[in-house]
Amino acid sequence: MRIAEQERDDFLLRRAAKGDEQAFTLLYRRHQAALYRFALRMTGSTWAAEEIVQDVFMTLMRDPKKYDATRGALGAFLYGVGRNRVMKHLGRLPREVPLEEKNEDGTGSGIVLQDASTPAMWVEKRERMLQVRAAVLGLPPEFREAVVLCELEEMSYEEAAQAAGCPIGTIRSRLHRGRALLMAKLEMFRDVPRRASAAR
Amino acid sequence: MNCEEFEAIGLDAERDATLSEAERAAAREHASRCSGCAALQDSWQAAGVELRGFAEDTAMAQAPARVEMRLRQEFRTQHVTLKVRRTAIAAAWGLAAAAVLVGAVSWRNWHHGRQEGTTNHLNSVPAADNSSKNSSVAGANHETPAEVLKGMQQPSSAGTASSETLIADNELSGFTFLPGAFASDTDDAAILRVRMQRGALSVLGLPVNEERASEWIQVDLLVGDDGLPQAVRLPQ
Repeated sequence: MRIAEQERDDFLLRRAAKGDEQAFTLLYRRHQAALYRFALRMTGSTWAAEEIVQDVFMTLMRDPKKYDATRGALGAFLYGVGRNRVMKHLGRLPREVPLEEKNEDGTGSGIVLQDASTPAMWVEKRERMLQVRAAVLGLPPEFREAVVLCELEEMSYEEAAQAAGCPIGTIRSRLHRGRALLMAKLEMFRDVPRRASAAR
Repeated sequence: MNCEEFEAIGLDAERDATLSEAERAAAREHASRCSGCAALQDSWQAAGVELRGFAEDTAMAQAPARVEMRLRQEFRTQHVTLKVRRTAIAAAWGLAAAAVLVGAVSWRNWHHGRQEGTTNHLNSVPAADNSSKNSSVAGANHETPAEVLKGMQQPSSAGTASSETLIADNELSGFTFLPGAFASDTDDAAILRVRMQRGALSVLGLPVNEERASEWIQVDLLVGDDGLPQAVRLPQ
């Protein structure tokens, strides 16, 4: 099934390289969501994720020969290009975590809470979600990548190692350290309201 | 398994496919014995739940439609530009090929015509009777050698035979080269026999006896491919 899909990707890419817009659109629609999610989870910014996705597909459009089908699936190639763009983006930015970012339509930062029965619960859950997001975005990029791949994208260690281009042992140790930092941050976020309410 | 090992590999032992069943069992056993590691595992599981919640809430995130629109626009622009460039290149090559073809055909025709012309000239032997024509040439002492020759070659308006005769004769002996002419210039020369008054020879730079200037004589002119006489011979 996967091989058939890869062949179809190759076929679509060949057609796109010859100027078939529909083939290019199909490829885009097939791969954009995963790429966007990864970029969003890594950068925490919808506009940055948008720019990265656009940049990745521009690269594919301008130089489709960069993709070598013998070296893996197109999705993995796009992910590799996207990962480089994400790392470049993170390297350029100062270490800061945007706590609130509005989309064009005025909604939140890509986080959509689905089942919040009451407004109070909705607010509490949303606040917690923002804390988790801030904790993830506060991790150093390598640890963040391991957490995003293994915990959010739910990749196996092998898949994550392949995607990040490093050995499984490295992914495991990055994940271990990332988890430790993440737990500490989440504990800290939990403690802040407790301390605030205790002070009152 | 000790606490350090548990922290490194035991926290996620159930998910880690690279671990053996024995390692998983060791991790479970350690967690059941060590309260600190058990608390760490609980804490991590709680964090895992929150992370999964975060993952679920961003699971439906997609790039906005404007990204697709921008990419498609760029795709169209790029491929239209490429198409125009390819067409321009093809047209340029086509024009160049056509120019080369036209040039080759023209050159071939010119070369062919020139060869045929030379053959015709060598084969044609017009009659040699036109004293009236030649008299006008002989009288023009101030003319250049080319003009003299031109005058001699012009047929009379009344249709009488011209005075010149082309002779297919490669024998160059007996010719006297005119001043400024060289033997090397006569490779493609033709021999032209004309009747002229002796006085006309002075135009060609040759000495003439004034007393016999009005005499009619037959002269062989060696005419170069530029149309100018190169040498003169008085046939026997």
